[in-house]
Amino acid sequence: MSVLRRKLRRELTSSLGTLGSIVAIIAVGTSSLVGLASAQRILETSQFAYYRDYRFADFWIDVKKAPLTAVERVERLPGVAAVETRVVFDVILDLPDEIRPIAGRLISAPPRHFDRALNGVCLIRGSGFSDDRGEEVIVSESFARAHDLEPGDRLALIVNRKRESFLIVGTAISPEYVYMVRGEGDFMPDPQHFGILYVKDYYAREVLDFKDACNQIVGLLTPGAVQNVDLLLERMERLLEPYGVLAKTPRERQASHRFLTDEIRGLGITAGIMPTIFLGVAALVLNILMTRLAQRQRVVIGTLKALGYSNGQVLLHFLSFGVVVGVVGGAVGDALGVLMAVGMIEMYKEFFHFPTFVYQTYPDLIIFGLGISTLFAVGGTAKGVWSVLQLQPAEAMRQKPPERGGAIFLERLPRLWRLLGFRSQMALRSLARNRVRTLTVIISSALATSIILLSLVMYDSMFYLLEFQFERVAHSDVDIGMRDEKSRAALFEARDLPGVDYAEPLLGLACELRNGSRARRLGIMGLARTHRLTSPTRPDLTPIEIPPEGLVLSNKLAEVLGVGIGDTLDLTPVRGRRDTRRVRVASLAEGFLGLECYADLNYLSRLVGEASAVNSVQFSVDPAETTALYRTIKGLPNAQALSVRADTKRVIEDTLVATTIFSLGLMIIFAGLIAFGSTLNTSLVEIGDRVRDISTFRVLGYQPAQIAGIFLRQNLVTFALGAVLSLPLGYGMVVACAEAYDTELFRMPVIIRPIVVVITVLTASVFVLSAQWFVYRSVCKLDWQEGVKVKE
Amino acid sequence: MGEVEVPALVDADLEIAPAEFVVILGPSGSGKSTLLNLIGGVDQPTTGRVWYRKTDLSGLSDGALTDFRRLKIGFIFQFYNLVPTLTAYENIEVATELVDDPLDPQEALRLVDLADRADHFPAQLSGGEQQRVAIARALAKRPELVLADEPTGAIDLTNARRVLSILQRLNREQELTVILITHNPAISEIGGRVVRLASGRIAEYRDINEPIPAEEVTW
Repeated sequence: MSVLRRKLRRELTSSLGTLGSIVAIIAVGTSSLVGLASAQRILETSQFAYYRDYRFADFWIDVKKAPLTAVERVERLPGVAAVETRVVFDVILDLPDEIRPIAGRLISAPPRHFDRALNGVCLIRGSGFSDDRGEEVIVSESFARAHDLEPGDRLALIVNRKRESFLIVGTAISPEYVYMVRGEGDFMPDPQHFGILYVKDYYAREVLDFKDACNQIVGLLTPGAVQNVDLLLERMERLLEPYGVLAKTPRERQASHRFLTDEIRGLGITAGIMPTIFLGVAALVLNILMTRLAQRQRVVIGTLKALGYSNGQVLLHFLSFGVVVGVVGGAVGDALGVLMAVGMIEMYKEFFHFPTFVYQTYPDLIIFGLGISTLFAVGGTAKGVWSVLQLQPAEAMRQKPPERGGAIFLERLPRLWRLLGFRSQMALRSLARNRVRTLTVIISSALATSIILLSLVMYDSMFYLLEFQFERVAHSDVDIGMRDEKSRAALFEARDLPGVDYAEPLLGLACELRNGSRARRLGIMGLARTHRLTSPTRPDLTPIEIPPEGLVLSNKLAEVLGVGIGDTLDLTPVRGRRDTRRVRVASLAEGFLGLECYADLNYLSRLVGEASAVNSVQFSVDPAETTALYRTIKGLPNAQALSVRADTKRVIEDTLVATTIFSLGLMIIFAGLIAFGSTLNTSLVEIGDRVRDISTFRVLGYQPAQIAGIFLRQNLVTFALGAVLSLPLGYGMVVACAEAYDTELFRMPVIIRPIVVVITVLTASVFVLSAQWFVYRSVCKLDWQEGVKVKE
Repeated sequence: MGEVEVPALVDADLEIAPAEFVVILGPSGSGKSTLLNLIGGVDQPTTGRVWYRKTDLSGLSDGALTDFRRLKIGFIFQFYNLVPTLTAYENIEVATELVDDPLDPQEALRLVDLADRADHFPAQLSGGEQQRVAIARALAKRPELVLADEPTGAIDLTNARRVLSILQRLNREQELTVILITHNPAISEIGGRVVRLASGRIAEYRDINEPIPAEEVTW
C-alpha cells in the first residue's frame, strides 16, 4: 500500500497544527506516566539499597536507663536477628556564628566501622573518628552545610550541665534520618535549626553517666518475624519494664521512614491517575478529529471501496494516522518523562538524603508509555472512522445530508434570541447541533480547570495549615524543654531571664492512651489554667477552654482511638508511677500535625502523682532582647530542647514555596495544555467543516477577526460551562486528595477560598484564550477564494 | 435518504450482454444511479437479484463483493472522485496496487492523452483532464465491465467529446462492456442500446443500429 502511505504522509504534513496539539496532549500524558513512575522506582530502589547497605533497624526501644546485660535477654528472643545499644540525648549547641542556641540530637556510635552498625553512619566528608581524643563529633551533612561547618571546625555542646568543645571530624548521613525530622509533630526538615551529632559510644557513656548502660535499643528482625513486630515489641517491653520503657517504635512508624514511604506511595497513585486523565482527554479529542477527517474523506473512502479496497485495508490506512500521532506523542512523552524524573529526583535531594540515587531509565516503562499512548490514539481514531466504514460505498460517496436544521432550545425565547447578534446565534446553533464535539470540549475544559483548582487549593491549604499551627495554636516565641522535671520554681526563674515578657509552664507527659484494642503512645501537653501561648482550637477557629478535668483530643487522635466526647480512655504514663487511670474525653480540637492531646497541667500532675511538675517553658519574648536571652540559654545547664517558632515557620514556608511552586506549576501547565489543545483542535476541525460559510463571509466583506469572533463565542460558552462543571469536580478531587494524605503524621486541610476559585478560572481562561490566537491565524490563512467555488 | 424511505428502483428487469455499450437515460431522481450502483456491487438491493454472469451479487458477503469490484469493475464517477493529495500517476497507482496484472499507470495515462501530466495534482488539472485521469484509473485494473455515472455531467463539450470518444474506442477495440448513465439525451445514442428510466421504472428499451460518433455529439 505504498501509494496510500504517501497519501498519509502528505495529509499528516498538511495538518501539522491540528495533529501537533493532540501530540502535545499525548506527550504530556505519557511524560507524566514515565516521569512519575520512574521517580517512584528510583526512590524505591534507592531506599531499598540504602536500608540494606546501612542496616536500617526494624525497631527502636527508648528506655530511661537499661543495663547492657538486660539487653542481652532481648537479643536472645526468637525472631531477633541483631541488637545494638545506643545512648541518645537531645542537646543544645553553641555555634560560633549563631546567637541562637541550636537544637541537636546526640547519638552514640562505635568508634570504628560505624557504617556497619545498625542505622549505619555513612560518611560524606572528613576522615571519621580517630584514636586521638574522645571529644570528636560527626555531624549530619545538611546541618553542616547550613552552618558552613567543615571537618576541622569546632563545635560546643552543652552536655550533662557542662559546656564541652568538640572537634568535627566528619559529616554524614544515615538511613535513620533520610528525612531529617526530630520525630512526630515535625513535618518539615529544618537543617538550620536541628542537627544529628554522632559521638564515640565509650565517650558518650562516660560523659552522660551511662557506663554499661544505654537508653535506646535498636535491632533487626529475621525476615519471618517482621510481620509480628508489634507482638515482639510487647515481649521486649515486658523484659525491659523495670528500666522504664518510654517508647517502642517499629520501622513502619519511624518518622523518616514514614515520610519517605508515604511519598513513594503518593507518587505511585499519582502516576496512575494523572496519565489516565491526560490520555483519556487525548483520545476524546482525537476521536473528534478523526470523525471529522473521516467525514471529510467520505468520498475518498467510498471511492477506495468502490475500487475494491476492503474495509480492513481502508481502516488500516486511517488507523495509521492514529499510530503516527500515538507513536510521536509517546516518544516525545517518553523523552520528557525521563527528564521529568531526573528533575524530580533533583528536587527530592533537598529533602531525602541518600548516599546515591540509583538513577535508571526503565525500558519497560518507556515501552509501556509508547504502547499506551498508541493504544489511546488508535482507539480514538478507530472510533472516529468506524461509522463511515460501515456505510455502503454508494452511500459514502453521496455527500452527507445537510446538518439537521431546525431550531435549538434557546430560540424558543425569541426576545432573548433576537438580542444576540448573528454570530452568537451561529455559535450557539453550532454548539447545540454537534453535541459530541461540544461535550468533549466541555469535559476537557472541566477536567483542566479542576486540576488547576486542585493545585491552587493544595498550595493555599499548606499555608492555611502553617497559619493555623503557627499563629492560632502556637503563639510562643521560644520554647525550652528541660532535661528533668522541675517544680514550679523553675518557672519563676524563667520569668527572670532577660527579654522575657511572659513565661508559661508546660508539662509534657509521655504516656499510652488505650481504648480496648486501640492504643497510641504520645505526649499529652499539660497547659496552665491561664495558658495563652498555646491555644487548642476548634475547626471553626474558636479557642477551646481546657477543662479542669479530662482530655482534649485532636480529631485524628479521636478517630484513631475510636472515641468521642464523653468516652473514657485508659492512660498509662511511661515514666515514674505507671499506674493506669481512666480519663474522660472532654472535647475535640482541630489539628493537622501528628496526634495532639491537651489537658490541664494540674490535673495531669495529679494523675501521675507529682505536685505541679513542669518540664517545659514557653516564652513570649521582647524582640529587642533576643540576643541576651539566647546567650543566657546557652549557659543553662538544664536546657535540652529549644525551638523558636518564627524560625520554624519561616523554614517551612521557604521550603514549601520552593518545592510546591515547581510541582504545582507543572500540573497547572499540563492542565492548561489540555484546555488549550482540546479547544484549539475542535475549533480547527470546525473551521475545516465550514470553509464555505467562512469564505462566503469573506466575500461579503467581513474581516477575519469578526469571523474568528464566532469561534471565540463558542469557546467562551464551552469554557464557561466547563468552569461551572469543574467546581464540583475540583471539590471532589480536593476531598479525594485530602483523604489520600490523611495519615497520623500529617493531614491536609480542605479550604477552598473564593479568591482561589477566581484565580483558577482566570488561569484556565488564559490557556483557552491563547488558543483563540491560533484560531484567528487559521481563519486568516483560509483560502476563501477557493472556498466559494462549487465543489462536489 | 435522510429519514424518509423512497424506493429508487422498482420492477427493473434488465439483461446486458458482454461487449455491449448500453446508455441508461433518465432525469434526476429516476433511479439510474441506483441501478448502476447495484450492477457495480456498490450498493445492495432491498429486494430482487443482480446477476453478474453466473454470480448472484445480492447474496454475496461484503468481502466477496469487494473482490468482485476489485477484479471485475471499473468505475467512473460524475465528480471524478480523485484523491486530492495524490498526483495523477499516483491516483492510478491506487487502483493498480489492487490487482495482479494491471496496466502500467503511465500506459493508462497515455491511453487518455495525459502522459505528460503524470505529476500534476487534481487541483492543477481541469475538470476534463481530471475525468480522463479517472477513466485511466478505471481502465488500469483491466476490468471486464466499465460503469460510467454521468461522466460528462461536470465538464465542457470539448472535453466531453474526448471522454466519450475514449469509451467508444475501448468498447470497439477491446470489446470492453460499457454501461453509461446520463440525463442528457444528446449522448444517449453513442452506444448500441438505450434504456430509458422514469420514476424508478424502466420505460423503454431501444436498440441503436448506428451509434453516433462521440466527436459529433452536441448540446
